[in-house]
Amino acid sequence: MASSRDDFIIAIRSAFLKKSTQQKFSLLSLVFTSIFIIVLSNLDFKAVRYLKIGINELVYRSSFVVSIPENFIKDTFIEVSDYTTFFNDYKKKRLELSKLKSNFVSSEIIQNENRELKELINDYVSTSDKILAKIIVDHESPFLKSIIINKGSKDNIKIGTNIYDQSYLVGRVIEVNYKTSRVLLLSDLNSNVPVTIAPQNIQAIVTGSGDNYGQIKYIKDGLTGEFDEESIIYTSGTGAIFKSGIPIGTLEIIKENSSDEFSVEFYSDFSQLKYVFAEITSISEIPDQNVSEPDNETNNSINAKLKILEDELEIIEETNSKFLEENIDLKNEINNLNNKLLILNNELSSKNITISQFNIDKTELEFLRLNLEFGHKCRKSNKLFQKSVGFEPGSDEYKKCVLNKGVIIND
Amino acid sequence: MTSLKSKGFFSKFYSWLPIVVLYVSVLNEFDVNYLDLDFFSFNFPFILIFFFTLKDFKNFDYLLVFLAGLINDTVVGLPLGLSSLSFMIICIATSYFRNITIRPNQVKDWFYFLFVIILVNSLNYSILTLFFSYNLILWGYVVNTFFTFLFYLIFLTIFKFYLKGIND
Repeated sequence: MASSRDDFIIAIRSAFLKKSTQQKFSLLSLVFTSIFIIVLSNLDFKAVRYLKIGINELVYRSSFVVSIPENFIKDTFIEVSDYTTFFNDYKKKRLELSKLKSNFVSSEIIQNENRELKELINDYVSTSDKILAKIIVDHESPFLKSIIINKGSKDNIKIGTNIYDQSYLVGRVIEVNYKTSRVLLLSDLNSNVPVTIAPQNIQAIVTGSGDNYGQIKYIKDGLTGEFDEESIIYTSGTGAIFKSGIPIGTLEIIKENSSDEFSVEFYSDFSQLKYVFAEITSISEIPDQNVSEPDNETNNSINAKLKILEDELEIIEETNSKFLEENIDLKNEINNLNNKLLILNNELSSKNITISQFNIDKTELEFLRLNLEFGHKCRKSNKLFQKSVGFEPGSDEYKKCVLNKGVIIND
Repeated sequence: MTSLKSKGFFSKFYSWLPIVVLYVSVLNEFDVNYLDLDFFSFNFPFILIFFFTLKDFKNFDYLLVFLAGLINDTVVGLPLGLSSLSFMIICIATSYFRNITIRPNQVKDWFYFLFVIILVNSLNYSILTLFFSYNLILWGYVVNTFFTFLFYLIFLTIFKFYLKGIND
């Protein structure tokens, strides 16, 4: 028994301490060095930090070079498969483009409105500038989802900088070196993003699943029934880690037994990323030109109110002058119309006179025609021994008689 | 192989090939998962280190393995020194196993490898979750261990073929 224990101890001691002919260090010393490095790397010493940055720079570049053959094969395969689906993609993209164009216009309007409102309440305005970054290492570890980009502190990248694929959020920077940075993808288990689910306007947290989708967590009970498959997920900006209103993905409802599970299908395919945008943000206060003394806060607010009132007055005056101009225009128009009416009335009366004249002429003509035909029957005869029964031509009775076609009616 | 010996550079390169492959694999994070299978992954450096340290291969320097661990940590984004510690534990385990083994047996080696990778992955998982508060999928570690165990046999054949070339 004792000898077997001795053998074990000898074997262990030999394993830890004995150096083979070709080994320069014993394993025990290397184990202690490893532990020492683990501890040291987690202490925030300046020297250690710079050493770490140096190692990172060197290793990331080496990794990029070593990965060239594998990436070439991968890219070729992707390009070939892309060509096969090219036409369908083109049609889909055209539709998307037209939709996006209309969305872009409304988005610009909203942005301007937002800016004006922020200026009105003396809030800060954040100006952002997106810089293009190339992904130099994207080997997805089975356990950690992160990428390395070729921009670092030299390009104003900071820890927490938001990273985009087009306009979709893909992650944030968690480690910054001089010319490289590590980006934690949204799909990583350690990634938590405060989000808003639209159009229901429900707040939640999206956590990475370690796979190519996210999981929705921490939703208030009773609100889950309102979700549908069309729901869009975008950042809420809570906690100021991510900017608000950045689209992330769409909601997917997974039915499991009695309860529903909610996951997020990201807009971006993290395995296909080649270039990303890093958003360099700088926050600037709205300059207040009226205030000279910084300690006078009351004056500040009064001035702001006065400025608003002055603006309002200006707007009202402008509107008034516009109304006056419109009034004058309308009066002129009424005058013109009255003149036109008068002319038309004159025209009408002249037309009426013409019509009545025409009627008179018509009656006269009819009388003359009848006079020719029946005049002899109505005319008074001057012959001897003949009883006079007619009327004197030109008299009213003669006229009546002619119009009655020679029939004499005695009153 | 005689022609290989005569060619100095190629002979040297051939004898250093395992270390070169180790460095390429840690820099490249090679896992051949192009089929996008869920959780599929295997740890190639573990297989390589286990095999060549068990065989006490002359150019497989512990210091170089230790440095490969540091590179692996940098590429993957793990706390610096963790992979080195894992690699060193594998080296200790193989060194111990070599000391107590009189008649080497491939099946015994294979199952001992399973024991070692379970030990190393458990330690890895524990350190990351307990001391560094990482969120990790335990199931992913189990699948990784399983596939690493299976792939050992495939790579064993290739490595034996390589050693045969060296010995010839």
